[in-house]
Amino acid sequence: MCVGLSAKVVDIKEDTAIIDAEGVKKEVNTSLLDELEVGDYIMVHAGTAIAKIGTDTNVLEEVL
Amino acid sequence: MIEKAKETILNYKGAPLRIMEVCGTHTHEIFRLGIRSLLPPQVNLISGPGCPVCVTAVDYIDKAIYLAKKGCCICTFGDLIRVPGSDTSLAGARAEGGEIKTVYAPSDAVKYAQENPDKQVVFLAVGFETTVPAVCLAVEEARRKNIENFSILAAHKTMPAAYQALKGSADVFIYPGHVNAITGNAVCQRLREEGVSGVVAGFTPQELLMAFSVILTLYPKGEPFFKNCYTSVVKEEGNIPAQKLINKVMEPCDSLWRGLGIIKNSGLKLREEYALYDAEKKYSVPDIKGTPNPACKCADILMGKCKPPQCPLFGKACTPLKPVGACMVSGEGACSAYYQYGEKI
Repeated sequence: MCVGLSAKVVDIKEDTAIIDAEGVKKEVNTSLLDELEVGDYIMVHAGTAIAKIGTDTNVLEEVL
Repeated sequence: MIEKAKETILNYKGAPLRIMEVCGTHTHEIFRLGIRSLLPPQVNLISGPGCPVCVTAVDYIDKAIYLAKKGCCICTFGDLIRVPGSDTSLAGARAEGGEIKTVYAPSDAVKYAQENPDKQVVFLAVGFETTVPAVCLAVEEARRKNIENFSILAAHKTMPAAYQALKGSADVFIYPGHVNAITGNAVCQRLREEGVSGVVAGFTPQELLMAFSVILTLYPKGEPFFKNCYTSVVKEEGNIPAQKLINKVMEPCDSLWRGLGIIKNSGLKLREEYALYDAEKKYSVPDIKGTPNPACKCADILMGKCKPPQCPLFGKACTPLKPVGACMVSGEGACSAYYQYGEKI
């Protein structure tokens, strides 16, 4: 149950979006995210988008 | 980056250390990706209590079964259905005629309640900070639409107080990425100030290798550390709209964790103004005290005191097909991971 689903936003309607998760389309609640655009990738938990997915920092390089 | 991270892990010559992966999905991904085989022998991985199904107490399952037997329609995430209660599971209650419905999201339960006004629909609201926003949105939706036959049986858990209870169980913690996506990193920074080291990690091979290589680089330096190794998803401040929503709908309460007992302020319950949606109040659920199977070692496993193969039931009386303990039922449970990926002691 507590598994995040990363998916691409393919359509936006007010507080919901249609996502494409490896070919599976699903409507999710996006009311907790700001400034969402078609083409963004989001992290979804239990039908609710909890974060936009950006890029990882190379933390290893920072600490070496 | 991957090659450098792998090289850092393989060349670790430092002191022995215990790393606890708090999150059940981390446990499974670390097994599944073969990362354990890369780790030097002095690195001991411990599976923590970050599987919401696993830490859900027997009492809670018994209460859900009580409601099913009273005629409520129980809507739940699928992996809770086979978790044993004191006498039976929700699957057993279903076999006896109870209506137990699997849903993907809490909002599906609201929709089902709206479409079936003659039914009393109860959603089993378990999970950590990752799941709480979806439940709060469902409660708000029910309130907005005046859907009065929907309620939740809440047993949400929050991590900050649990981290305090786990102090000393490991030298370094791998914090659950998606919890931090909601809460932000302040609690981990505070733990560092208290001398507890950790990193927040993602779930892909690259992200996990990064997290382990950062741990094995910083641990030998002897200073407490915290690093966010999942910056693609976890922002320092977390998800502020989600935090505000949780604070509006729910308030902290003491909570019973399987294995850890009652931890003060480690749970969330509906605020008084949402009492109409609180199944315990609505149906006057009695204070049921559950009795877990005494031979089951789930409690010790969740605290990192023993590993699944050290349980006398593991792989014998307790298998994924016939689970005795919650850690074998859930796809995120440590026993399930050890069974599935074949690790022995």
